[in-house]
Amino acid sequence: MKNVIFLTIDALRKDVLGCYGNKDELTPFIDSLQDKCIKFTNAQSTGPYTQASFPGILTSSYYLEYGRQKKCSPKRTLISEVLKKSGITTAAFHSNPYLCDYFGWNRGWDIFYDSMQDEVSDTVPYIKGDGINHKVDQWLSSYIKNDNYRPFFLWTHYMDIHEPYIPAREYLDKVDPSIDLSEDEMLILFKGIILKRDISNQEIVKLLKKLYDAEVRETDDYVKEFFKILEKYGVLKDSVIIITADHGDEFGEHNSLSHDGKMYSELINSPLLIYSNNRTSVKVYDKLVSHIDISPTIIYLFGLEPLKEFKGHSLLPLENYPQKGIFGEAIGKTSSHEKETDKPIYFYQEDDLKIIYREDDQSWEMYDLNRDPQELNNLINTSAKSEDMKKKLIPQINRWQ
Amino acid sequence: MNEEVKKRNPELIEKSKQVVREAFEKYDPDKCAITWTGGKDSTTNLWIIRQVCLEENIDLPQVITIDEGDAFPEITDFLVTISKKWHIDLKWLCNFNVLKCCQSHLGNDIQVKDLDERNQAELKRIEFEFESFPFEAESYAGNHLMKTVVLNKFIEESNTELLFMALRRDEQVARKEDEYFTHHEAGYLMPEHTRVSPILHFTERDIWENIKLHNIPYCPLYKLGYRSLGARTASNPGEVGIPAWEQDLENTPERAGRRQDKEKAMERLRKLGYM
Repeated sequence: MKNVIFLTIDALRKDVLGCYGNKDELTPFIDSLQDKCIKFTNAQSTGPYTQASFPGILTSSYYLEYGRQKKCSPKRTLISEVLKKSGITTAAFHSNPYLCDYFGWNRGWDIFYDSMQDEVSDTVPYIKGDGINHKVDQWLSSYIKNDNYRPFFLWTHYMDIHEPYIPAREYLDKVDPSIDLSEDEMLILFKGIILKRDISNQEIVKLLKKLYDAEVRETDDYVKEFFKILEKYGVLKDSVIIITADHGDEFGEHNSLSHDGKMYSELINSPLLIYSNNRTSVKVYDKLVSHIDISPTIIYLFGLEPLKEFKGHSLLPLENYPQKGIFGEAIGKTSSHEKETDKPIYFYQEDDLKIIYREDDQSWEMYDLNRDPQELNNLINTSAKSEDMKKKLIPQINRWQ
Repeated sequence: MNEEVKKRNPELIEKSKQVVREAFEKYDPDKCAITWTGGKDSTTNLWIIRQVCLEENIDLPQVITIDEGDAFPEITDFLVTISKKWHIDLKWLCNFNVLKCCQSHLGNDIQVKDLDERNQAELKRIEFEFESFPFEAESYAGNHLMKTVVLNKFIEESNTELLFMALRRDEQVARKEDEYFTHHEAGYLMPEHTRVSPILHFTERDIWENIKLHNIPYCPLYKLGYRSLGARTASNPGEVGIPAWEQDLENTPERAGRRQDKEKAMERLRKLGYM
């Protein structure tokens, strides 16, 4: 039995990756992996920010399934709980405060590092990728010596791309050496522009995107280092590695910044790669899939029976994956913080057609992602398919009534 | 107590004593101070430092404790009793201005404008931008004013150069500076000083084994199941009714009962822009 290693990268947009068509060479290492990958070109998150997307990723359930709760509901089943019960070692290393012990994401892990006991810098309040890698290295170095070595499930999450965008000089130089900003100035951009969702100055928005790109370039190096660690301990060849992002990030595409409660592609269209050492050429899978399917896939990879609590379907074997519509939900917040008064937002997608319902103003939107990938042309009042699509989303919206 | 512990324990203590001796070689004991919360770690730390002082005929440096305004009575009693027993002239530190502003009542709101100049400046320093906050020792603003500020003021006013702390390496998983001595540069409202943690290499298990082996006194709350003691309203037992030393120390988090975890999460989220 192989190990399964799950690498998630916070706020990583799909369109910055070279293997998804970007020409700026921001991810040379991840791109170099693709020959050994199944590459999903149409994978969606279940929500546009961490609290809304991680229930989909690690519990194969939707954000509002158990009501609006800040903590991970005890009714959710974490993939770690299922695996641990089956005798698989489970280890998690991350630094996202929303996924920490306090919010209940520590269930089912033999090793759970959420960095909350460690000191972080004042400006960037999380452990950077090299720190996370160091923890993984320490753990693996002792784990592989263990007499009763068992296959393991390792989840690693990098925060580095998440705002505030304060890339190291070295990486900024790789993206645009002409940018001359101090750390303090980058922090001012964070507080004065990003937090205020101010997109009035296009030049500043472009500058922010470059800082973001530099963080992407930096993170690619952490992924490279991570693979080196796996190789050093000889576990790379015995592991399947799934790589994805929890959500994307916006740079004015729909009149805002960061990642609020919206369901457009810059926020929910995720990269998704499944790496296996014995693959020799890339397999591109372009049908619609969802993060909801990741935990069932991990179950499948460990040879366990599908779990009825999980809402998704294993992506593997590919030929058995059903063509289906996919769903997601969040709170339609318009700033970084979810307010009590903010109301839910839902989406449903089939092939290239995506319908969105915002409860706040009871508005509907529908987009043809093939013809209108930027989602600017709302078809809800003009398309013959609108009613049919509404009918498919409404039962999800009303599912508790 | 098994043989391995009996062999290992003197090595642990000797290492700590070496660090204490090194501290006294570098710093005049008059310029040193020892922090003591009444918890298991700082009591162990004090016990070791006191031993070195007795052996080397050095006057025990000033021992200080911080009253956060929300202490367990059991902890206060413990501090008083052991001070007498060990002949310690314990100095109690407190941010009285904050207590005054909330009439010493937990949960009462404190208006920032009512605080004195220093406290207001301190809140500005940590970029606390609200007009008021509820008085809780382990809230973001409360923690800073009731602990950090009090300690900094003491260091400044007493010209302390070295502070004995009781940090343990296993408590702080990825401590980058894995050193016994850490130097803190002067900054705005922050006096220059050095900190030393002689028990850095002790694990939670080592602490309990050492306490049992040498009959070191400990606060009775640990017997009720508390693993880590902070402010009263922010600490909960790990497993109720099971003494701390009988719990699964290696596989369950020591500080899980402390609300500080929540505060830390909130503080980081705030810095990410989420609050």
